[in-house]
Amino acid sequence: MATLLTIEELSKRFSGLAALDHISFEIREGEIVGLIGPNGAGKTTLFSIIAGSQPPTSGKIVFEGRDFTRVKPYRAVHAGIARTHQIPQPFLSMTVRENVEVGLRFGRAREGAQELIKGVMQVLELVGIAPLAELPAAALSVGDLKRLELARTLATRPRLLLCDEVCAGLTECEMQSILGLLRRIQALGTTIIYVEHNLRAILSTCHHVIVLNFGKKLAEGPPEKMQNDPAVIEAYIGKKAEAPRP
Amino acid sequence: MSAAERSPGLAARPLAVLPPLVLLGLLAALPLLNLGANSVKVLFLTFVSIAASVGWNILGGFAGQVSFGFAVFYGLGAYTTAVGINEGLNPYLTYPLAGAVAALASLLVGLPTFRLRGPYFAIATIGVSEATRVVMTNLEFTGGASGYRITEHVPFRQLEHYFTGLMLAALAVGLSIIVRRSRFGLGLRAIRDDQDAAADSGVNPFASKLAAHAIAAALTGAAGGVYARYAAFIDPEGVFGFQRGVGILLLPVIGGVNTIWGPVIGGGVYGVIEEELVARFPQVHLLLYGILVMLIILFEPGGIVGLFQRTRRFLLRRRFASWQPS
Repeated sequence: MATLLTIEELSKRFSGLAALDHISFEIREGEIVGLIGPNGAGKTTLFSIIAGSQPPTSGKIVFEGRDFTRVKPYRAVHAGIARTHQIPQPFLSMTVRENVEVGLRFGRAREGAQELIKGVMQVLELVGIAPLAELPAAALSVGDLKRLELARTLATRPRLLLCDEVCAGLTECEMQSILGLLRRIQALGTTIIYVEHNLRAILSTCHHVIVLNFGKKLAEGPPEKMQNDPAVIEAYIGKKAEAPRP
Repeated sequence: MSAAERSPGLAARPLAVLPPLVLLGLLAALPLLNLGANSVKVLFLTFVSIAASVGWNILGGFAGQVSFGFAVFYGLGAYTTAVGINEGLNPYLTYPLAGAVAALASLLVGLPTFRLRGPYFAIATIGVSEATRVVMTNLEFTGGASGYRITEHVPFRQLEHYFTGLMLAALAVGLSIIVRRSRFGLGLRAIRDDQDAAADSGVNPFASKLAAHAIAAALTGAAGGVYARYAAFIDPEGVFGFQRGVGILLLPVIGGVNTIWGPVIGGGVYGVIEEELVARFPQVHLLLYGILVMLIILFEPGGIVGLFQRTRRFLLRRRFASWQPS
């Protein structure tokens, strides 16, 4: 399959601290790619840079063959890169419907009045919060806010969806339903990079896994292989103690 | 949130345009009652203030960018009209010109200041406003601190001014409604709620704020122009003064920031109260304003419109006490 996104030697320094250290990888179109790593590995920083919220210190981002290294966030959205935040950032003065309208009207497709009503309901139904459409966003529960965040992002009609820990803080049941949703979104033709702590969620959903640790790429490969990779296990759990002397 | 606050519903509500049109008609017919010259003057000044404040509200309310520097645009509009009339232009041509000059100035002000957020933006606008006043105080071409006089060789007709003010206020409200219901207006609301999330949803915050600033400045500049022709004499302290800038944002604060009708209601209240207060307490009327604004911000940040909505919600809740959302 064609390459959608190429990250070349990407680095980000915060006054001396290397949050990302020469990261390189490729994302192929149509995949769900898991991005895992312990706290502080640089996952969210990487998302911010791809989405244009922060500039990288060095390196290059190529999206659909074009240089997107220091693109503004709204330009990234117009081109089809959209992200969800770990902590949902809804427009609190608006209803659920209006939140989604912002994504639809300002996103990649810039949908006009004709498609708007249909688009809103389609997105809300996909995400499963259609009955809440007329409620103020401020009235939603954490789980529903996560769905709204996803709905507003999907409304921009992304080609590449950056999902930051959509399952954190959710119950097992809510998590399964969100994972099912990600698979449906992928089946509809959106490529997804999915940051997650929960290994089980990654294993059951992703085609390919990239492991970060201390800002470096530790390993990359199919999920089953990553699960048994000694370096990955060490990063997450620690090294096996040496066998006690007899 | 009230139905009026909700963004377009795409099916327009044709009946919603009736009350404003009736109000406009009543105000247009009001001079038939042979009001005294002073009442007409109070109404005229109220219309001018409303036009400027409705403009301010597009930036300060809809987009949430509170500026204390709108005296810059009011003053530039006033001086543009004044110079234009003295140079022999038709007064009605000078008003759009005043708006255009103010809009242009708003871009110069906005380019650096919109890189700042929240209180830092507000403080920067105070600086710009004071700097402009100082420049105008020392500009010889317009008479500096001693002011600038407009000489017209036509008889003064107060009602002509009255209708000009009314039309400008109506234009401002109309524009504000159009902005509120447009895609652009939705983007401004998103910026007000969360600028970063807005950018992550495809809104260009910087360009949107510049555009809102320009529309707001154009209305305020035109208001300054209409005022200048009526006053026939303007000076930097009067039209560029800090008090002018605060006065422009006082109406939305009283009536309800971030609503269509807040600045209009605020203007009505302010216009009437000001007459009374200045007449009765000439020394302390500003102090009384200060107290009023503090009370509003402390107890009802939504202003009069907010108070009205809260009352309505309270009554509705009692009626539907048993109803639960989904």
